[in-house]
Amino acid sequence: MRPALHAEWTKIRTVAGPLWLLLGTVAATVALGAGATSVAGCTPTGCGGDTTRLSLMGVYLGQAPVVILAVLVISGEYASGMIRTSLTAVPQRVTVLAAKAVTLTGVVAVAGTVAVLGSLLAGWLILPGPGRQALSSAEGPTLRAAAGTVLYLMLIALLSLGVATAVRDSATGIGVVLGLLYVVPIVSQIVGDPYWQRLLQKIAPMSAGLAVQATTNLRSLPVSPWAGLGVTAGWAVVALSAGALLLRTRDA
Amino acid sequence: MTGLRKRYGATLALDGMSFSVRPGLVTGFVGPNGAGKSTTMRVILGLDAVEEGTALIGGRPYLGLRRPLNHVGSLLDAAALHPGRSGRNHLLWLAHAQGLAARRVDEVIELVGLTSAARRRAGGYSLGMRQRLGIAAALLGDPPNIMLDEPFNGMDPDGIIWMRGFLRSLAAAGRAVLVSSHLMSEVQDTADHLVVVGRGKVIADAGVAELIAAVSAGRVTLRTTAVTHAMSVLAQAGATVAAIGRDTVAVSGLPADRIVTLLNASAVPFSEVSAHRATLEDVYLELTREAVEFRAATPSEVSR
Repeated sequence: MRPALHAEWTKIRTVAGPLWLLLGTVAATVALGAGATSVAGCTPTGCGGDTTRLSLMGVYLGQAPVVILAVLVISGEYASGMIRTSLTAVPQRVTVLAAKAVTLTGVVAVAGTVAVLGSLLAGWLILPGPGRQALSSAEGPTLRAAAGTVLYLMLIALLSLGVATAVRDSATGIGVVLGLLYVVPIVSQIVGDPYWQRLLQKIAPMSAGLAVQATTNLRSLPVSPWAGLGVTAGWAVVALSAGALLLRTRDA
Repeated sequence: MTGLRKRYGATLALDGMSFSVRPGLVTGFVGPNGAGKSTTMRVILGLDAVEEGTALIGGRPYLGLRRPLNHVGSLLDAAALHPGRSGRNHLLWLAHAQGLAARRVDEVIELVGLTSAARRRAGGYSLGMRQRLGIAAALLGDPPNIMLDEPFNGMDPDGIIWMRGFLRSLAAAGRAVLVSSHLMSEVQDTADHLVVVGRGKVIADAGVAELIAAVSAGRVTLRTTAVTHAMSVLAQAGATVAAIGRDTVAVSGLPADRIVTLLNASAVPFSEVSAHRATLEDVYLELTREAVEFRAATPSEVSR
């Protein structure tokens, strides 16, 4: 496993794409978060809502480069044919996938942490007194929201890697994952029936996972913060297992 | 490898492919496109599964090797690179996958003469340079077995000459070298041994000299200005004749002195009668005649 990890780390650091995509995640997350907090309707008594969640909402956009990076990590090799070289060098296929998963979550964790801390700092600087207080007074929940958002990005990376391993094509992989993330919430808006709406929000990887960002009004959420992140983790586990199974059984 | 059998849908890609590659020799692995050469190589490397048969390297299956590049060096597709990664970094990740140091990367780069381009993006490499990079990758683990799929593809004449010498030197150092090609002329001066394949099985597995002798045996080349006349005379006497040039005819089934007598008796002019020296091209055509899947009809054959 160690040589395989070393190889994957060398791969990811010797091309420019991954670094740009990770910087894209940081930039998109912080920028959208700052934009959202700057238009928050604050009054001297409070900011009328979940300011932590508001500061961190940039992740909705910032996850997209993570998805692209995670898909390309393996589908890019299928596109060039380099996957055969990889599997020739390390014939234990699941080891190759595991090494990719570890390397990927490692770099996404770093970028995600920077993005989340940047967003919270931006929110703290932008929000007026009461909103600022909300950000810091709820330390426990804010910490959960921050750490949970980083974990969410890591899980989205794993979900994307699993899907890409199964479909082996960059465009299809990115399409499937972004569709899963963005289309399901849209569908849940269109569905009129409140029962179905709540159910979709409970099981969709994005809306469930980002419940971890909530710091106020937890009772009104369709799913509790950690349970929501657990749903996203379930998606990642299913996708990765399917990918690993297909990688093992198919001709490379 | 023994009895490899593989099916892609309705096509039988490998139909009992069996042969072995010996150390110290360059073995040419030749056959028409679609004969199963690349599939066989992928099977050897554990990339494709087979329904039947086993492929072993030094007695072990590829999937059981711990540091596989120390056992077999292979080049399947020289274009299989990330275009944005430098050649050196491509070798570096491969080296790291085998627990090898960066020093070995610089050694193999020097060995294939790629030093000046090693730090440039591989996307800008010519096909010939990519082939050299692929060879460097195959040599990383200093393996006793080398397997190259169509390494001459896209090489300029200088590159081809270099590649021939390089393959010979690898074999001279005691390595087993397997080189596939669909062009006979490429392996002509390189291979010691030939495995000729068609439709997923081995048609011939013998030394190059042996194969040429087998196809040349009993064949006579006749040079004449009256090709049609000569052909009909000899065909009537029971020979198999084929026009192989504007004024040359290949004859088999009759000894040379009998041919001379017959031609004289029928007053057919001729300038030369000589024992035929087959080229590898002839051997290949002879052996793959039935195995070629897509072949244009050649009407020049006259036989009785």
